[in-house]
Amino acid sequence: MFPTPIQKASAPARLAYQIALPIALVIWLFPLIGVAVTSLRPASDLAAGNYFGMPSSIAYENYASVFRDSPIGWYILNSFKVTIPTVIGAVGLSCLTGFALAVYGFRANLWVFFAFVAGNFIPFQILMVPVRELTLKAGLYDTTLGLVLFHVAFQTGFCTLFMRNFIKGLPFALIESARVEGVSEWQIFRHIVLPLMRPAIAALSVLVFTFVWNDYFWATVLVQGQHAMPVTAGLYALNGQWVAAWHLVSAGSIIAALPPVLMFFLMQRHFIAGLTLGATKG
Amino acid sequence: MPHDPQPARFWKRNQMKIAPYAFLAPGAVMFLIYVLIPIVQSIWISFQDWDGLGPKTWVGLANYVELMDDDTFYVALKNNLLWLGLYLLAIPMGLAAALFLNQNVWGIRLYKSLFFFPFVISQVVVGLMFTWFYAPDFGLFSQLIKWLTGSEVAILADERYVTYGIIAAGLWPQTAYCMILYLTGLNNLNFEQIEAARMDNARGWRLLRHVILPQLAPATFIAMVVTVIGALRSFDLVSIMTAGGPYGSSQVLSYFMYEQALSEYGYRMGYGAAIAVVLFLIMMVFITLFIMRMIAQERNR
Amino acid sequence: MAEVSLSNVKKDFGAISIIKGIDLEIKDGEFCVFVGPSGCGKSTLLRMIAGLEDISQGALRIGGRDMTRVGPSDRGVAMVFQSYALYPHMTVGENIGFGLRMTGHDKAEIAKRTAAAAKMLQLEPLLARKPGQLSGGQRQRVAIGRAIVRNPEVFLFDEPLSNLDASLRVQMRGEISRLHQDLGATMIYVTHDQVEAMTMADKIVVLSAGRIEQVGSPLELYHRPKNLFVAGFIGSPKMNFIAVDARPHDGGIEVTLPGGAVLQLAGSLAAAAKMTLGLRPEHASATGAGDAVLPAKVHLAEHLGSETLFFVGLADGTEIAVKADGLAPERPGDSMQIGFPARACHLFNADGQAVLNGDLTR
Repeated sequence: MFPTPIQKASAPARLAYQIALPIALVIWLFPLIGVAVTSLRPASDLAAGNYFGMPSSIAYENYASVFRDSPIGWYILNSFKVTIPTVIGAVGLSCLTGFALAVYGFRANLWVFFAFVAGNFIPFQILMVPVRELTLKAGLYDTTLGLVLFHVAFQTGFCTLFMRNFIKGLPFALIESARVEGVSEWQIFRHIVLPLMRPAIAALSVLVFTFVWNDYFWATVLVQGQHAMPVTAGLYALNGQWVAAWHLVSAGSIIAALPPVLMFFLMQRHFIAGLTLGATKG
Repeated sequence: MPHDPQPARFWKRNQMKIAPYAFLAPGAVMFLIYVLIPIVQSIWISFQDWDGLGPKTWVGLANYVELMDDDTFYVALKNNLLWLGLYLLAIPMGLAAALFLNQNVWGIRLYKSLFFFPFVISQVVVGLMFTWFYAPDFGLFSQLIKWLTGSEVAILADERYVTYGIIAAGLWPQTAYCMILYLTGLNNLNFEQIEAARMDNARGWRLLRHVILPQLAPATFIAMVVTVIGALRSFDLVSIMTAGGPYGSSQVLSYFMYEQALSEYGYRMGYGAAIAVVLFLIMMVFITLFIMRMIAQERNR
Repeated sequence: MAEVSLSNVKKDFGAISIIKGIDLEIKDGEFCVFVGPSGCGKSTLLRMIAGLEDISQGALRIGGRDMTRVGPSDRGVAMVFQSYALYPHMTVGENIGFGLRMTGHDKAEIAKRTAAAAKMLQLEPLLARKPGQLSGGQRQRVAIGRAIVRNPEVFLFDEPLSNLDASLRVQMRGEISRLHQDLGATMIYVTHDQVEAMTMADKIVVLSAGRIEQVGSPLELYHRPKNLFVAGFIGSPKMNFIAVDARPHDGGIEVTLPGGAVLQLAGSLAAAAKMTLGLRPEHASATGAGDAVLPAKVHLAEHLGSETLFFVGLADGTEIAVKADGLAPERPGDSMQIGFPARACHLFNADGQAVLNGDLTR
């Protein structure tokens, strides 16, 4: 283990470490803590200049009023309408493409693979004008479906990289053994490889959920009106309305951040497995 | 051995040839339509004068020529380089955080998760948090500066500091990302090698430098990739925190492009596309380096 | 009838030639072992018979039908992989029946065949378990069971025992041999372990660098190796090789051994030449009984209980191994007299080809 385990250090060093941990955490998360506290601060505190002291009372009504007086509930719903189909679509498609690239040695294999990988890294701006055009022409501008289709296509790049490497890690003899037994290629995919991909599917699902939920750029490019706006773009719009109403902005921020945060905590191991793909080998 | 009747045989005989393309097709078609073709279209549009609605007019390199004379372009370019340079700090900072947290004490798992928190939050929320943090008069950071220097600084309204302020906000989640990459790397170290090095009397900094870091090279590579990409993609924070202001001083290429092509400043799709192409070319330098490394790895398999 | 016949079979990966032209006939019901050092192409050759690798050139016939371009599932072969290739998410029963289920056999038939295979391999109590809960030997049996249910005409084994520990390997060796007797099917078995080859095979094919070095029964290869490679590969501990001067003499061959001792061998030789004399450790005598006796110094003694293996240095420094009685008293540094029996000696020319086989079966 590196660094040397603290258990081997002297008692004062151990104590110092135990004290340093929470202090470092509070400093590190200070902006977040500040916002969380502000979201529960009554408006009167802000008016009185009490920005950082203890709130005079806990104002849950900030949250109530955000939901009551703004369409944030609707934005959240839109975000789900974009995020969940995207997760299903991108993960589903990439199971297929990943299988194709991992199992078959056809001629263009590596080139197709690198096209997917490179596609991941490009700046969104190079896609913006044509994708907006395409979405407009298809009559999907300002709809959640328009966002879903783009996100599915784009995330498929990343997911393919992940799935392909995952399937490459499975023993190839499993596939060969099935081939000798007369199992068709589709059956191999369906009955042998797919059941073994569960951890990869879980990891990618959380990851894509977070990426797409947090997307702001495409939400502003492909959506204009409230009825299809996801919560990221919605929050920005609300920020314009709530000038200096920091308690409301804070409450809105917390609401917008909550779903991916919950997702992260529930599926932490999968999330990190997905994110750190390739960080340990190769 | 039961043998299949004739009709089934075509598929059986040829499935090894057909299957890869059948599996590939749905994803590849989507990717082609939404990613690969638009890249080509953007390059094409960058040679046009186009408002997004009317007819396109071929103007050749005019958009690029105009770009060369556009002061905002140079500001954006300079800021992008600043982003790139400073964003890389996330890597050593992430490593430091990972080394700090790579202990086995009670509750450490929760600590690690909480340290990682900023990465999970939308950049829109991060932007709003830091805007509030930097707010003049009451923002905590402004207060701190005032307490330290006696003078008040409105970070996001000051041309001298605004880009640094935004980058600092970006470093927060990015450091968390690099940290998690390094934590995973540290978890997969070859312990025998470390023990051997310790027997050879290597410790502390020298152990880190000569034994640990080489083993962490894959994590460092991924951290480099995501950090460089993140720096060049910086859009959300600029849009949320300053919209490129004040007076365009926090402009970056990605936001500049968006502003030219889509905002109230006019629907100059061709000009915007030209900016996007420049950004794309800068990114291609890095993408090519990454892919070359990946090809080398694939060959070694 | 499922004889397997390969004629001039070749395999190229790009410009590199892996299999350089193999002609081989394997009779119906025969147990044929491909053996050779790693990288010799034995596994590739097996995979070509299975249909997992394309055949670049030449023809493969199984049971008289041309299978060169036929897919793996239509060749009537079943394969047992080195890694067993059990599907980790299926139970033992599902693993065994999977191929049948996918190829549309009805449930009753699958159940019947699975039960029969499980009975034959004593897997009945394990049918509901997942592969992760099995020991190595049990996994190996499941892999074999998966092959059996398909009633193949030819079984292919790719180093199936190399992941097992030594004692299990001996046991599984016996089980596979028994299975061969019970089923009477043609079996082709790849291994790098010459002991496995010797103990199991009806016919051994020794491969090296993509070519066949020799084909024959185990005893044929042991007693009449065609060349230095086979002589060195078959038998353990391996055959001793000693550089000698050989010349025609009196209708026979006379060789001068290190230290000057002279040995008369049968056979004939056209002219004097430098040659390599081969003598197996078990044929050399540690008590000095033989047609030529050489003084030697003990370098190392390995006491195995039932026997002792001496590594001794001859006059010119050549080290040879000699098998002796388990109670032999000599210790490193001691002197010994090593006897060379003429009728056990092999002689190889400068090209490594056998000029004379000291065939004790004759």
